[in-house]
Amino acid sequence: MSEPATLLPLLDVFKMRIETGTGMPIIHDLSFTVARGEFLAIVGESGSGKTMAARALLRLLPSGLVQTGGAVHLEGKDITTLPEEQFQPLRGLGMGMVFQEPMVSLNPAMTVGAQMAEGLALHLKLPSAEIRARSIAMLERVGIGDATRCLGAYPHEFSGGMRQRIMLASVMLLKPKLLIADEPTTALDTLTQAEVLDLMVELARDNGTAIMLITHNLGLVARYTQRALVLEKGHLVESGTTRALLNAPREDYTKALIAALPRRAQTPPAQRTGEAVVSVRNLSVTHAGALSLFRRRVPKKAVDDVSLEIYPREVVAVVGGSGSGKTTLGRALLRLIPASSGEVHFDGQDILKAPRAAQRAFTLAAQLVFHDPYSSLDPRMSVGAIITEPLRHVPGLAASGHARIVDAVLDDVGLSGFLSGFGQRLPHQLSGGQRQRVAIARALVRRPRFIVADEPVSALDMTIQAQILALFRALQAEYGFACLFISHDLAAIEQIADRVVVMRDGRIIEEAARDDLFDNPREDYTRALLAAAPRIDWQPALTKRAAP
Amino acid sequence: MKRRINFLIGFPIVAVLGTMALTALFWTPYSPTGTRIRSRLQPPNSTHWLGTDEFGRDVLSRIMDGALVSFRVALATMIFAIIVGSLIGVVTGYLRGWTDRLIMMVNDAMLAFPGILLALAIMVILGPGQSSIVIALGLAYTPSVVRIVRGQVLSLREKEYIEASRMIGNSEVYTMLRHILPNCIAPIAVLGTSMFGWAVLSESALSFLGLGVPPPAATWGNMLASARG
Repeated sequence: MSEPATLLPLLDVFKMRIETGTGMPIIHDLSFTVARGEFLAIVGESGSGKTMAARALLRLLPSGLVQTGGAVHLEGKDITTLPEEQFQPLRGLGMGMVFQEPMVSLNPAMTVGAQMAEGLALHLKLPSAEIRARSIAMLERVGIGDATRCLGAYPHEFSGGMRQRIMLASVMLLKPKLLIADEPTTALDTLTQAEVLDLMVELARDNGTAIMLITHNLGLVARYTQRALVLEKGHLVESGTTRALLNAPREDYTKALIAALPRRAQTPPAQRTGEAVVSVRNLSVTHAGALSLFRRRVPKKAVDDVSLEIYPREVVAVVGGSGSGKTTLGRALLRLIPASSGEVHFDGQDILKAPRAAQRAFTLAAQLVFHDPYSSLDPRMSVGAIITEPLRHVPGLAASGHARIVDAVLDDVGLSGFLSGFGQRLPHQLSGGQRQRVAIARALVRRPRFIVADEPVSALDMTIQAQILALFRALQAEYGFACLFISHDLAAIEQIADRVVVMRDGRIIEEAARDDLFDNPREDYTRALLAAAPRIDWQPALTKRAAP
Repeated sequence: MKRRINFLIGFPIVAVLGTMALTALFWTPYSPTGTRIRSRLQPPNSTHWLGTDEFGRDVLSRIMDGALVSFRVALATMIFAIIVGSLIGVVTGYLRGWTDRLIMMVNDAMLAFPGILLALAIMVILGPGQSSIVIALGLAYTPSVVRIVRGQVLSLREKEYIEASRMIGNSEVYTMLRHILPNCIAPIAVLGTSMFGWAVLSESALSFLGLGVPPPAATWGNMLASARG
């Protein structure tokens, strides 16, 4: 304690070690420091231990994991050995945490006001009028319109972005020295993500709070942080200033992460050939308020008068924020959701009104690749059975031919060796990337002419995303299907799309060839989307560090 | 550790009762229904380990045979309730809409009744006998199976693999049987095991009240009833 406190780093982690109950290490001797007011990124893919390292700081490790070594100093004070009752005040006042999933990190049975008041009442013992005034001021600060009413409202009344603002507000009310943000915007769309993170950085700067941003998104690292650590399987791979790390990475793993960022495809967009495979005319989908005994919700137009044509061998990307109707559009044109009006033409027939036989032909020729590979595979079926299932409906195909076809398609998606037992595995035995490959194989096994891909990579790690996107593009060239690629991730779209359609509030507001859209966006909304997309070559204008 | 202790205590009890019931299938020391007026109301001794009842029937033999009857009835009840309940639950949960609302209204009305009262009423209508008990108890337990299976189906049907099954071109019936029903097995298995115990108890209660398996057949319920009188 001889040094003045200001010269010490705010947080000093020395040789932190986390192990499972059986002694398997999760974090190997991790050491790092966070300076006052510094914005530090911890980068890593799932399984790298980045979340566990952060949780260990707050002593919030899940059961089964224990910190077996290392020392943590907060403001020069060793907090590793503090008894629980002295550690408790540090949570909230010393270190605050914003979690990944705003849908579940707020208690649905408590009003927003009550949840915000908890911290203030516990740590600062303020009178309730003061708590209320501070809560309202903070909610206004994070851009909640009617802050007074918000205090009495329940979390379900707010959208994901709003909830994350509320979460942020309740953490920042206590003005912690360090804010740990664990993938705070992964569940949000691009525009909301930028808004929430900009706000977080502003608030932190106002209060002199340091930020530890845990993320796998290098674009966010480039945009918001000054220094970064790269973790791989519990080891610190590389650390340094963000700019140096991203521009001149020294380690192979860091290079691989940067190389995995999607880039615009070098090939020129495919030319339209022949007749459109699918053409959508004035399609509207109205979510009629579900008729319940007590009330009828107001009908909402999820898709509003959309017309769109998709040509053979073409990838048309649909981009938009959450609630823009892009997912509904994909589901409606596959007849998974009833359309309220409009036509979807396939092979010269409007398949929404066509006889059953034509609808059946469309079902057999069209497929959907899902967003979440953890929910799109039946957990009780083996990989082989999952991929074989679509073949039941191919007319005139004997069951004896199934194995050969399945084997070939597994080979195509990079999961070769079906006959040597891969097909016997169950989905839970596979990694996320492997699951998505299985899901793609299931969609391709009947050689469909048209595929709707609904955010097929957004649930995956960065390096896996790059692999799956490359695979998808290669398969598209080989199988020659037309594709509607739904995504909010502009980087992925830039890599894979031939043509891009921008949706907002259920309407198409801009449609252009890929290069035109990215280089010369016409609409303000499109420009805003492009500006909000995290990119690695971001100029760090926002994150200039206040001189200490 | 806690689970281990539960197992160490529970397993021997279940094992002894189960062995007893299974043995009774082939052999009991005496005929469980054979009356021997001469040797009535004997205390436990070397020939009748647990003594005899007022008609001179061997109590051990009756307990063993009663266990068999109880277990048989409970097993049949469980299977009846699970099959009927799962089918109704899957169909109503998957189809939703008015069918669902109507079935669930009836279901909840039945659920609001104490199960044993419902079974009593059904027994009075059907008359005594093993198959009537199975139907009565089965119907009394079906609503809770419907509730649980329906709840499970409601969450399963939002899973993307159900949508994937529709995209593949599978029929609704196939989707229900192949993708939804197998994924409901875990909660059904838990419910089924606890239901087995309750069914044994309910069968005994019905027999005790004289509405179950008619005498002279041995069941735990009517043995208790005769012991009291």
